[in-house]
Amino acid sequence: MNVRGIVVWAIVAAAAGGCQNGSGGEGATTGDSDSDGTTDGVAVDTEGGEAAECKGIEPGPSPIRRMNRREYDNTVRDLLGVDSRPAQAFPAEEEALGFNNNADALVVTSLLAEGYLGAAEALAEEAVKDLPALLHGCDVKVEGEDACAGRFITEFGRAAYRRPLSGDEVSQLLAVHQTAADEFDFATGVRLTLTAMLQSPHFLYRVEFGEPVEGSDALKVAPYELASRLSYFLWGTMPDAELFAAAAEGRLAEPEDVAKQATRMLADARARATVRDFHGQWLELRRIEELEKDDEAFPEFDPDLRPLLRAEAEQFLDHVIWDDKGDLDSMYLAPYTFLNGALSEYYGLEGPSGDTFQKFDLPAGQASGFLTQGGLLSVLAKPNQTSPIHRGKFVRERLLCQVVPPPPDNVDITPPEVDPNLPTRERFKQHSIDPACSGCHGMMDPVGFGFEHFDGIGRWREVEAGQPIDATGEILGGTTKGTFDGVPELASLLVDSPEVERCMTLQWFRYAYGRADAKEDACTLDDLTRQFAGSGRRIQDLIVALTQSEAFLFRRAPEGE
Amino acid sequence: MKRSTLSRRTFLRGAGGACLALPLLDIMQGCDAPPVSALPQQFRGAGGPKRFVVFWTPNGTIMNDWRPSGSADAYSFGRILQPLESHKQDVLVLDGVDELSAYKGPGDAHQKGTGQGLTGTELQEGDFAGADGLSAGWADGISVDQAIADAVGQETKFRSLEFGVHVYGANVGSRISYRGPAQPIPPENDPTAAFDRIFGDLESDPAAQARKIAERKIVLDAVADDYQRLVKKVGAADKLKLEAHLDAVRDIAMRLDTGGTIGGACQPPVLGEVDDPSKVGNIPATGKLQMDLLAMALACDLTRVASLMWMNSATAKPFPWLDIPEGHHELAHRGDGDADAQEKLTRINIWYCEQFAYLIEKLKAIPEGDGTVLDNTLLIWVNEHQKGNDHDRHEIPYVLAGKCGGAMKTGRWMQVQGDVPHNNLLVGCMNAMGLETTTFGNPKYCTGPLSLA
Repeated sequence: MNVRGIVVWAIVAAAAGGCQNGSGGEGATTGDSDSDGTTDGVAVDTEGGEAAECKGIEPGPSPIRRMNRREYDNTVRDLLGVDSRPAQAFPAEEEALGFNNNADALVVTSLLAEGYLGAAEALAEEAVKDLPALLHGCDVKVEGEDACAGRFITEFGRAAYRRPLSGDEVSQLLAVHQTAADEFDFATGVRLTLTAMLQSPHFLYRVEFGEPVEGSDALKVAPYELASRLSYFLWGTMPDAELFAAAAEGRLAEPEDVAKQATRMLADARARATVRDFHGQWLELRRIEELEKDDEAFPEFDPDLRPLLRAEAEQFLDHVIWDDKGDLDSMYLAPYTFLNGALSEYYGLEGPSGDTFQKFDLPAGQASGFLTQGGLLSVLAKPNQTSPIHRGKFVRERLLCQVVPPPPDNVDITPPEVDPNLPTRERFKQHSIDPACSGCHGMMDPVGFGFEHFDGIGRWREVEAGQPIDATGEILGGTTKGTFDGVPELASLLVDSPEVERCMTLQWFRYAYGRADAKEDACTLDDLTRQFAGSGRRIQDLIVALTQSEAFLFRRAPEGE
Repeated sequence: MKRSTLSRRTFLRGAGGACLALPLLDIMQGCDAPPVSALPQQFRGAGGPKRFVVFWTPNGTIMNDWRPSGSADAYSFGRILQPLESHKQDVLVLDGVDELSAYKGPGDAHQKGTGQGLTGTELQEGDFAGADGLSAGWADGISVDQAIADAVGQETKFRSLEFGVHVYGANVGSRISYRGPAQPIPPENDPTAAFDRIFGDLESDPAAQARKIAERKIVLDAVADDYQRLVKKVGAADKLKLEAHLDAVRDIAMRLDTGGTIGGACQPPVLGEVDDPSKVGNIPATGKLQMDLLAMALACDLTRVASLMWMNSATAKPFPWLDIPEGHHELAHRGDGDADAQEKLTRINIWYCEQFAYLIEKLKAIPEGDGTVLDNTLLIWVNEHQKGNDHDRHEIPYVLAGKCGGAMKTGRWMQVQGDVPHNNLLVGCMNAMGLETTTFGNPKYCTGPLSLA
């Protein structure tokens, strides 16, 4: 099935309706949303695809990956046992496709390099306070400074670089130690060597060289490299002792070995943190904490509720993925959420009281998984009103992985003023009347109208401007299409769509591999999507499947000088 | 906005621990004039080095209220530029320059207007971008501030300093400065962090400082060697990335000794109470702090190139301190006939002009040679657009200030006729700063320097 072709169709349809950029394929487009407001486009390869020929090993692009701030903090926690989270002072990652771990986007500037230097100095200074521990019990008086320095470099280096050091590397680091020890003293030597190691590319990046594969240009990811791929994908940190041991003992040679490790790692709390990190980005939950609402329109929106709204979404997704069926359908359709006292009051529900979050079955017809939660719906809204456009755009871009072209430059895209006598969808009518707008907005607004039962801060409403809410809507399209009334019906349409299935796979692909999907990834994506579908669309299974692909187990040979 | 949010304060203390009220500039009065004798003549102002400062604001202006009236030399400011009245002899209102390149290449109007403002070249195609989707990458070339910094920023502690006020996101709409193609430089939004970075080192005593420098030399040499070795072993794309990292490491190493030139009467200031810079309501306070720090960094010659980015392209933030609850972007998109929106946009731009005037005052308050630091500075106010609702990138409302060591003639309203691409202005700035060049950005959009003399 050619799912990609549908995206092309969407753009052509939009172009026919008067949108700019109707090239229908190459060069997907950008949307003019508020840059700090509402949505973040996701990329779709809009190549119309023939059935790809899946021959030979095709790992796709294999860029070197640098730790982002989360990974850095986790890594130094596991490496040095410190919880100081020094990376929070580093500049924020440049984001790509909605994710902050995209290899192409993570460029190092002077500001960041200074941050690495400062953090390394502080960490090393702290670490040498307990020198014997750092030297793994090597007694300088008994074994001599050289031997102890050598042992420190070999043993700490293996953890910091996540593989055994080569003889050359040990000598080079010993030379650094010696210079510093000669100029100052032994402890300074250790401290400065450590400071240098914490800025090494072998620490900050995942340097991979791979191993040759007979009969292929592709390289097999080497055992220690694979251990890091697993640990950073599943846990956002360095490998644990078991992964190191598996790499050393040849227990990561086969895909089954890798799957076994992935399954083991999924049971750890660190995997939950990773899944949360993914949702925080894919579903824009991180933005909940930055929400600002108009005090006049929404006096009930207390900023102190923001962390609670995020917690609601996280508790819900955690529950679905780890404690319940764990499938995509439940994420979209579950008729319950998680509330505490403050949120029950916020939503006006006779829900749980107290500070602790509890599972709560919402009134029939008002609930549909993450799609009806206050945090997301507040993010996808204006400060003083809802935003059918952004809600529709979110569905198109984040859930269907389609591209919505931007409005032409010469069009006034002001949202209509709030009018106490007119419901939102009436005020947005211009979009369906004006042919310059209707092409693109036909993709977004009728989808977004389905959310109209939820006001600008995500609370259920029956009436707006004195009139009953009309939450009927329509998805115009090729594969995913149909009319609906309200979010639960919209969500049913979505979960029945192969596009949603593939998009979920694609979003996880981008997050897991830290890169955009390329044309060469077509077979991998087809394969992953099939596996996802075959597993009953369980997210945990998708995560394991992502460790079994050619993109994960292999890498492309370096190109160019 | 909720009052409780906006009045909530975060108390931070600088390294010194004690609290001093800001502004801090009084402390800097005794700052030694930077040594200029060693500078090549073209980079020298009167009694100090030339400096280049960018002041950037989003979402366009209201031209009717921005444009002066009268003649080139005998003109009256419109409402928006009124706050500059007392600095009239120090400003150059530049009227009619078009951001022509920003009609070309990938990206939407906001991305292009922002990413091309200082680079004068198309954005890259890219698989990644920020808020608006995938088709625009980063700018595809160095920005003018960085090109200038490459010439004048070699001897200072920082090649350049990038300040931000509530710059949101990490995408093409939230970056103006580029080290090179696809190498955006993030601005520092947090005055406390900026303070620590710029002045933190000054806390230590000279012996400790010398020791720190000696240690850092050992470490950074080792780190640079490490990158150097790896660069040789990787493919082309990874090599670019690692080389950028290597350059950054070398840059730090090269500047280790420059901290020593501060000294003298240039006492490290102590940062006092800082309102949480991530709160919208604190934007005015954050902005003032950032401008204070920027002015001090110039005064002490810690850098000669700086930029200050106010929020980001298409920002949706409201202006509660002006009683404007609507988001700026949303207001900017309303039609010309919407008198309420027009008035609010004018008031927003008046407020920005007041901030620009504040920075002018700060620089004017620092004596240097027979004049002030402002006399040796080229300060330029850049907007991403001229007009918000149609994204017009013609007739960008530039305002320049400072005499750039005599290289720029102020006290006038300079109206240029016909198609004058903004690349020409960027060349004009470079020329004024002492760089001999005739083109900048994509030469396709450059027809020669726009002289500011």
